[in-house]
Amino acid sequence: MNIIHLILGLFLAGIAAYGIGRLKPAAASWLTLAASWAALLILFLGGDTLAGGNAWGLLAFKMTPLGWFFSMTLLFVYSTNTFFNLSVPAAPTRQAAYPMLYLISLASTIGVFSAENWLALFIFWEIVLWSSTFMIGFGKPGRGSIIYFGMSLLGSFMMLFAILVMGTAYQTFEVKGALMAAAQSPGPALLVFLLMLFSAMVKLGITPFHIWMPEAYHEAPDHFAPVLAGGLSKLGAFTALMVTSFLPASTLMAQPWQVRGLPLLTYILLTVSAVSIVIGTLMAIKQEDAKKLLAYSSVANSGYIMIGMLMGTPMSVSGALVHLLAHALATTVTFMVMAAVARQTGTTRMDELGGLLHRMPITFLAFLTAILSLVGLPPMLGFVSKWLILQSLASQGLFLVAAAAIFGSIGSLLYAFRILSTVFLGQLKPKHRQVREAPAVLLIPLLLLSGVTLVLGIYPYGLVQYTAKIENSLGFADTVQITGLSIQGNNGNLNALLIMGAFAIGFLIALGIFLKAPKSRKVDLMDTYTGGEFIYSPELYSYSTNFFAPLERVYAGLPEISRLYEALANRVRDLGTLVQYLFFSPLPSRTALLISVVTILLIWGEAI
Amino acid sequence: MPKKERPSRFHPVSHTMQTVEVPTEKISPQEQAEAWEKIAHYFRANSLWMLNYCTGCCAIELPLVMTSQYDMERLGMMPMATPRQADILLVTGYASLKTLRRLIYTYEQMGTPKYVVAFGPCAVNGGIYHDAYAVLNRLDLYLPVDLYIAGCMPKPEAVMNGFKRLIELIESGQATGWKDYERRFDWYKSNQLEAVGEVYIHDEFHE
Amino acid sequence: MNALQSIGTGLGMALFGWLLQTTISGVTRKVIARIQKRRGPVWYQNFRDIMKLLNKRSVTHGWAFDFGLLVALAGAIGTAMFMPVAGIVAFKGFDNFFMIIYLAALGVFGRALSSGSSGNPLATIGVMRGLTQNIGYKVPYMLLVIALISYYRTSSISEIVELQRVSGWSVLVMPLGFVVAFISLHGMLGKKPFDTYLAPAEIASGPLVEYGGKQLGILMIAHELSVFIEVSLFVNLFLGGGATLPEFLLKYAFIYILSSSLGAVMGRFRIEQVVRFYYKVPIALTIVQILMLAVMRGGVR
Ligand code: SF4
Repeated sequence: MNIIHLILGLFLAGIAAYGIGRLKPAAASWLTLAASWAALLILFLGGDTLAGGNAWGLLAFKMTPLGWFFSMTLLFVYSTNTFFNLSVPAAPTRQAAYPMLYLISLASTIGVFSAENWLALFIFWEIVLWSSTFMIGFGKPGRGSIIYFGMSLLGSFMMLFAILVMGTAYQTFEVKGALMAAAQSPGPALLVFLLMLFSAMVKLGITPFHIWMPEAYHEAPDHFAPVLAGGLSKLGAFTALMVTSFLPASTLMAQPWQVRGLPLLTYILLTVSAVSIVIGTLMAIKQEDAKKLLAYSSVANSGYIMIGMLMGTPMSVSGALVHLLAHALATTVTFMVMAAVARQTGTTRMDELGGLLHRMPITFLAFLTAILSLVGLPPMLGFVSKWLILQSLASQGLFLVAAAAIFGSIGSLLYAFRILSTVFLGQLKPKHRQVREAPAVLLIPLLLLSGVTLVLGIYPYGLVQYTAKIENSLGFADTVQITGLSIQGNNGNLNALLIMGAFAIGFLIALGIFLKAPKSRKVDLMDTYTGGEFIYSPELYSYSTNFFAPLERVYAGLPEISRLYEALANRVRDLGTLVQYLFFSPLPSRTALLISVVTILLIWGEAI
Repeated sequence: MPKKERPSRFHPVSHTMQTVEVPTEKISPQEQAEAWEKIAHYFRANSLWMLNYCTGCCAIELPLVMTSQYDMERLGMMPMATPRQADILLVTGYASLKTLRRLIYTYEQMGTPKYVVAFGPCAVNGGIYHDAYAVLNRLDLYLPVDLYIAGCMPKPEAVMNGFKRLIELIESGQATGWKDYERRFDWYKSNQLEAVGEVYIHDEFHE
Repeated sequence: MNALQSIGTGLGMALFGWLLQTTISGVTRKVIARIQKRRGPVWYQNFRDIMKLLNKRSVTHGWAFDFGLLVALAGAIGTAMFMPVAGIVAFKGFDNFFMIIYLAALGVFGRALSSGSSGNPLATIGVMRGLTQNIGYKVPYMLLVIALISYYRTSSISEIVELQRVSGWSVLVMPLGFVVAFISLHGMLGKKPFDTYLAPAEIASGPLVEYGGKQLGILMIAHELSVFIEVSLFVNLFLGGGATLPEFLLKYAFIYILSSSLGAVMGRFRIEQVVRFYYKVPIALTIVQILMLAVMRGGVR
């Protein structure tokens, strides 16, 4: 069993799924489940020493620790999400391709992470892009998939250009080799660095390339959004980390301008990521739709990942990798929960929901775990990564970026509470009285993912050790250190087990006090303090629309980047109209003139 | 108002209405629990949080009691925002048809043990409003009053004096109006229904 | 047993913190009463309040209502266990600033969860205001502390205290920062003008609206503990902690009573005024302070 077998197997399973899906849709969903779990098992057992291979002497594959880490993350997201594929109510026929595209995109992500060759990597990258575009299109009608495709295409062009530049300048398409060669001889290295990074930023959703995220996440089918949010955007982190670690900006740009020991360019890129955090946070606070809110939170969290990678210290890169995993797990859960909520109630608008905690308690618990991890509170995995990143920021003394990171961190508390409160807390709407807990098939992946978040948050040592291994393989001089049960930071230690222990002791004491005191009387949700007034309409008795209105007023004047893109698109459209007006007129004589002018230019163009 | 037969004594200042001796059905017969109740009574008596339901003009005397002139915080008393947090319900004056509903709703939202303090003759027998069409004359038919404070309106000294008396009563475990309310819930409820029709109103303004 | 000893010390620290802050709250109530020309309650009034509440039978709005409270108290106790006071620290080397802030935030989240699940929109509005205020004061405060951490090259609170003994209190290092941090602390403690999230007359004490009995009692314990964490963090970071217990207590009481007294003579901001306020003067002062620090950067080590 080597990687080629794995990828090829998944491809074939995908094609088989299409055939089966035409006959029996449910069976195709089961096939995606079986195939992706089998792949996960193979990859897990094989470890990062899973044999590579060389197909027809063209496509070479090799598993690296970094590739294994990313593949495992994505495979885990994909395979847990297959349970949601099962629950899709009888898909319309045009969606018969969904299982096929699902498996093919899965196979291609493994291809991206293990390809030895930039061109192969690019081909797989494109397959992922195309298949996911179609899958987004299966959701709500709208511009989401087009914007996604357009933005990603921009990224792909930049990447392809960078690959070709490397190919011509260094005569190699080998992934590591080309980057190493670029690091040796500056030449076009700066161009490659920037283009690669930009294309990664498109995928990660860093400002100003983030506009596809809310649209695509919102419109993607509920059962595909988890993969899109938790999995596919992480592809960008992979190339970004490759570039920043093999092509460190410090050797690239020996300019005189330095900010706190970092090259100016890195500092600017860090600032862009910081802006991404701030904008993502501010926009997430404003949203009325739960999926859009979560999408903007992804924009903010991608900023953290980017900051961790750009700083390039062992601790910050560890932080970025752990944050990547934490964010993948948590975001997947939140989108899955939204899918479950949408399935049971039919909406993801926050002002139409409320009080679901009393109807869907297990979903609520999974959601709570994920949200805590997104905010970065102990004892969840998100805390470990935020701790690592903030530690590195503090020891580097990057105050501007640190301010943004803090702002995003506190801001995440705001939008996390908003979504928690408006969907699960508050008054249960009368029309949702009959809502039942999501079926067990959907609870399995939720509990699995949130369980992993919790367990890794309490015991992150193995994971951090593995990030040290990745750093080793990426050629870092020193790596993040763990002694015993404490992760050694630059200026402080972290013992996640101890924190959990202290919290558990506190919880036991609190529970003791609680149980010793007289028992409470359970009252109905509507039996609340109303100033003596009688209220019988729960659907009106809640606070969910325009939640942070006072805060939103403070930054109401913030310009929106999507306006700029719209303006650009309009200009292009205007240009098109002009061209159409000039050259494509219904008058045959004008067309004849045009053709003859073009012909003359073609013939005599050289001479002129 | 239909008169209910009910033995009662009225005294001008600070006297409880221990009308019926509550047969003590103890939660736990153990002495330990009783001893603990005694300690708990001490804490309850010395940390009284109140909710003043300003039904009538008597309320105007409360600001004096709260602020620097008489300063009831000396006794550990504080005004609170909601019935959930409060221990005492102050009914400052007459209860009308409209306010009684709210009074009952509020009282039932409070946690036990809870106490009711009624101000002025209006709460005893209607006072000068005894023949008004909308005023309910006897508060103790509808809510278990632990303490009356006399005076129309009671002077701040009288209010302070009343509070001190309430503290004594609680400390000695005699302020048991809330138990009475639980025990004779049906009786209270029937009185309430008779007086205001429906306690929790459902009409076009409220739905 | 070393681990048991540490845990014992930590629990002792949490108990001490609760006793200390509850006492000082009572004393402060007396001080404020004097400011308002009153007598005020006895100094142990807050103990009586808490005990009364724990002996009261109240209502619950479902399991999340209670669970959130337990998380709140657990977060507060857990954080207090790490707090170094006067040279005593339970878990040496792990009293990390970021850890303390985040664990304390878990307690805040627990409180928000609990009051949100009560179903009362007033509570939700209160939480909204509290979080909005949080984003106001936390940013300048955290920024300052990050500057301190990069100045002292350690984020362990007890080590920062040690270093201040050598090089003088941080007030001298960053005088402007001290002022900003005090204003932030004022908001953290929720004293006027920053008590918009409680506003008893307006939103009926906001997040607390549905609490009574033991729930409110547990919340009060958690509140006293989190005040202890906030004030002692401030004393440790900016005023050199204390070599001996009396020194620490003196500083602690001074800071808390000063903040409360200032609160007693002020009005209340509207919530967006709070954010606007924090993002103008304090942030500007913070930036000036950080630039000053960068200019005269020598460092201790
Ligand atoms: S007792 Fe006198 S002061 Fe009080 S409500 Fe009645 S009339 Fe007004």
